[in-house]
Amino acid sequence: MMRIASLCILALAAVAGYIQIDSRPPWTSFPMPAALESELLVPEAATPVAGKKPQVSAQVSIPEPRAQFIPETAAPSVHAGSAILLNDGNLRAFWFAGSREGATDVVIQTAVFDAKAGNWGKSEVVIDRVAAEKGLSRYIKKLGNPLPVRSSQGKLQLYFVTVSVGGWAGSSISWMESSDEGVTWSRPQRLITSPALNLSTLIKAPGFDFTDGTLGLPVYHEWMGKFGELIRIDGGRVIDKRRMSSGRALLQPIVFIDAPEKAVAYFRQARSEGPARIASAQTENAGQSWASGIDLDLANPNAAIAGLQLSNGDRLIALNDLESARYRLVLAIAPAGTSNWNVIAELESDQTRINGLYREFSYPSLLLGANGEVHLIYTYDRKKMKHIQFDRRWIESKKNQKGSS
Amino acid sequence: MLSNSVMQIVALMEIAISSAILLALLMQELFFKAEGAVRMVALRALVCFVLANLLFWPVFTLISPLELPLAAYVRGFTGELSITAMLLLWTAYISPKEIHVPAGVKVWIALVAIVFYPLALGVSMLDPYAWGFGSFTLLAAVIATALFAWLAGFNRIAIILALSILAWAVGWHESANLWDYILDPFLGLWAIGSLIWSAWRGRAAQAQTGYLFRKG
Repeated sequence: MMRIASLCILALAAVAGYIQIDSRPPWTSFPMPAALESELLVPEAATPVAGKKPQVSAQVSIPEPRAQFIPETAAPSVHAGSAILLNDGNLRAFWFAGSREGATDVVIQTAVFDAKAGNWGKSEVVIDRVAAEKGLSRYIKKLGNPLPVRSSQGKLQLYFVTVSVGGWAGSSISWMESSDEGVTWSRPQRLITSPALNLSTLIKAPGFDFTDGTLGLPVYHEWMGKFGELIRIDGGRVIDKRRMSSGRALLQPIVFIDAPEKAVAYFRQARSEGPARIASAQTENAGQSWASGIDLDLANPNAAIAGLQLSNGDRLIALNDLESARYRLVLAIAPAGTSNWNVIAELESDQTRINGLYREFSYPSLLLGANGEVHLIYTYDRKKMKHIQFDRRWIESKKNQKGSS
Repeated sequence: MLSNSVMQIVALMEIAISSAILLALLMQELFFKAEGAVRMVALRALVCFVLANLLFWPVFTLISPLELPLAAYVRGFTGELSITAMLLLWTAYISPKEIHVPAGVKVWIALVAIVFYPLALGVSMLDPYAWGFGSFTLLAAVIATALFAWLAGFNRIAIILALSILAWAVGWHESANLWDYILDPFLGLWAIGSLIWSAWRGRAAQAQTGYLFRKG
């Protein structure tokens, strides 16, 4: 009798398992960035014609980049800023702040940038360690990188790293959702991304929606190996995961989509030997499998990079183009689908050392504003979050200067 | 799929019960090894019930700087146990006399763990963990393992594997990956450890016999 009963349960499990797999959304294609769909890739500023020098100076005055610090909090250490466009055209930034990186008093903070007035509001705490551990029903030792995401249903979500045991290699990702553009938040939920005690998955760069509305997030693994992964999220749960690189050297992938099936990823380079250059990988099947590509001709001192697809078809990367240290921060540009990267602007550079250490202008995050302007948020010497707003005509003029020089 | 709040309570209860059982087994091993009374199922269940409640409710937050129930600290480190590991532990505790996991099954768990974890942690571009999200082949392999166990007469193993698949299919835990319901590092380490232990004991016994034999 028991024998028959156990066979029946097994048969039931087989059917339920089959239905479960069958009901999962099949892999789908990338969305095309609006800029690449259109044939009219003509920016507002004059595009240089071959053999003709662009006459930047003859144009109407181009607004210079506007830099400002996000209002300070009492925290001595801040890091890992990123921002998202709100429905009203303003920006909301998130970063972590505390007595030092990895301290138990680190909280995730937020502030809103009034795009019309051009200034930042007061910063507020989104979540602290105790609220996170109560919400997640498990001990949390420290909080890490926050990443805002706009869900395909239009809601604001915040993905963030937490650690229960050990250092950053012990990270897991959690997320929560807001129905009021980031004023209040739901109870956080945990993503399960790894079979070894769910250890060691972190986020840095923004993702994208697949054409079926599932969320693609480029994440990375840090324990034992260091490699990039693309996770696919549906209804707050990870429903697929694909390795973007293997080995022990590549972190924090950023993804640029070229076509519905094609994309390129660039990585922070963490190898101990060999040239310190931004590494790359490509996919030709919408992210299901990735092959490593050649390194870019851009130096990388094992530091995070940020990428942005512009509406005129160009792409931007913000990076520390050094082989070690993070005292210089620059913007580089390349046309979509190419790897002809050119550094067009130096945003920070300060080689003074304090106690033998260089200052640090790092962990950039790029965002396209409501009117096509570009926003950059980065860590200013670990003490402040800095924000620079670029007019796209300024970027165009810098590109043309570079092209004509 | 369970709602998030229910899932959190269920998961914490599971961890509390599993931790209580491990504590009870440890106490039994240390203090009551000779006592026959611990074989009584009712007493074992009572001990587990009391310990699990102490772990599940935030009682110690009232008298110490702790912020959470004790089980939440365990969960911070372990996450959810796989359903297979959890049910093997629970059933072993309730019916201690039965021979629980046959050596063949332990070998199979150990082999899978030894191949699976290095690959899942990034040794190459091959990631078997990704199969757990929607691979009919992996599902078929788990069902085949359960069928083998059933044919070999290990009903309990077959039922536990079937329940693990069912738990995955209904979204019992936070993970949507079948691997997380059938295998965890503790189960793998236990299988490997217990095989090494029995091999070592076997050799020691053999050495002893050999010694006596030569002496005689």
